[in-house]
Amino acid sequence: MEKLLNYGAIQSALTERGITQKQLASSVGTSSQAVTNWLKGKDFPRPASLLKLATILGLTFDQLVQTSNAGRPIIAYRKKANAKTTDAHIAKAEGIGMLLKPLVSYLPELQALRTLITSPSTDYDKLQIVASQTRSRLGIGEQAVLGYEHLLGEFKECGAILVPVLWGSKGNHENALHIRLPQEDVTFIYLNLDTRLEDFKFWMAHELAHVLTPELSGKIEGEDFADAFAGALLYPRACAEQAYRAATQQPSLDRAIEVLLHQADVHMISLNTIFQQVQRYAKAANLMLLPIEEKNIHALRNSLRGPLVSETMFDPMPPSPQRYIAACEKTFQTGFFLALKRMIHHSGTGASYVQQVLDASLQDASALYEELRR
Amino acid sequence: MLVLLDTNAYLRLAKRIRPLLGVEFGHNQYSLNVLKQVEDEVFKSPRLQFLYPWFTDTELKAERMGKLVRLSKEERTKIEAASSVLHAYVLSDPLGYTSHGRSPPSPTDCFILAFGQVRPAIVVTDDLGMHKLANDFDIDIWHGHDLLKKMLTAKVITNDQVREIFTALENNDDLPRTWQEVKHTSFKKLFGPKP
Repeated sequence: MEKLLNYGAIQSALTERGITQKQLASSVGTSSQAVTNWLKGKDFPRPASLLKLATILGLTFDQLVQTSNAGRPIIAYRKKANAKTTDAHIAKAEGIGMLLKPLVSYLPELQALRTLITSPSTDYDKLQIVASQTRSRLGIGEQAVLGYEHLLGEFKECGAILVPVLWGSKGNHENALHIRLPQEDVTFIYLNLDTRLEDFKFWMAHELAHVLTPELSGKIEGEDFADAFAGALLYPRACAEQAYRAATQQPSLDRAIEVLLHQADVHMISLNTIFQQVQRYAKAANLMLLPIEEKNIHALRNSLRGPLVSETMFDPMPPSPQRYIAACEKTFQTGFFLALKRMIHHSGTGASYVQQVLDASLQDASALYEELRR
Repeated sequence: MLVLLDTNAYLRLAKRIRPLLGVEFGHNQYSLNVLKQVEDEVFKSPRLQFLYPWFTDTELKAERMGKLVRLSKEERTKIEAASSVLHAYVLSDPLGYTSHGRSPPSPTDCFILAFGQVRPAIVVTDDLGMHKLANDFDIDIWHGHDLLKKMLTAKVITNDQVREIFTALENNDDLPRTWQEVKHTSFKKLFGPKP
């Protein structure tokens, strides 16, 4: 990675602390000329000198050093409602991404020719075309229920590595985490299995959108497109049109909501997704919107929350490491754990690596490590 | 001279060497201590609490709490700055830190090494990734067995205690590879030459 010292930040810190360049050189234990060369970008300090610079000036690595973005992991989040993505979250995810780099050579061979969405747009008609093309590629019709297996196959086709994790249903920031390594041309998708079953397919589709639009990864428009794509793919126009007609023929709003609830059950997606897609259809077709308030949909949805994916997969909870790995490999067809196992056996990598790349507790990571080391 | 034990180093020694913390020994007046991170790490992990039930003994807890290192704002700023440099360095060489039995030092590991740099202190750990990082940055670092050897030389522990510690770690399948390597060299008088 090409690195340069941040001249401006260092000069400001020197001024603030009343230190001359000569005094700085003396404190670091080097010559004034060496410091001048560092500041001019002619040379870069050795690790021990860089550490001394940081402590003397009280500057963190990001303040002290300018690095190029080449090879930097690209992060995209599917956030939990109301969760705020902070720099610390991004930095942590980038750190995981950097640590995943050595794992890449242990992964199964990835698909080289991949499908991409060339002109991603959140325009309703354009989204419907993309959704229709995707469904056609998956071999399912416009009104068919899209299953998990269809999405899993598509991830595999796109060379994405799924990493199912148990991050808890509360407290943790992510529902899913998307880490793209541009230099290695690999995408890791962390799926939190401690998520409601009804939401799970939506954000799997959301993550698929990121995989299909790598140039939008990490950008706000990428998140917007991914949300819009997921809705259109899971509940396309043909479904929304039929639900709209059925709902508007009902004698009461309660009955209209029952129509939407029935559709949510059939398609195994949330009531909110159905509602949003029906309203988007109505708006695009210049029809009157359903006179149902969004807050009522949310209230109803919250009162009818189903089980977590993890609860349906692993009964009883928590699963043993062996069951967890086996279920993840079988259900999600992921080569992640096999690669991890190969790496541990080949490089002697320690348990702390498992803890850090899975963002797991020490307890879970140690147990998983023992299983992978066998 | 302050000597700082990481969690594993503390857990490998504290049961059998009492008192452990705050006792000065050797020509350099070494004095052992731990950071609050050790307390946090064990109390966050039911596994560690199960494996080391003696950790919560009143006597040991009082010893740790009594010697707790307090940091000034200035020191904390410096340690956090140093820690960020160390962690960035780890992330820039992930291959180097995941091979030869190493794990990449975590942000907490980097904090301990940064503490050693700023205070200064010698860090005691058996983590090979931390050793590589410390060596790259000229930070003083010992393996647990280095500490044991120095304590033995300074006569603050006995041959029997060293034998007990090696045996216990072997029985618990927790004897680090580096300890195995020095068992019949640094501790040849106790364990004899390599069979």
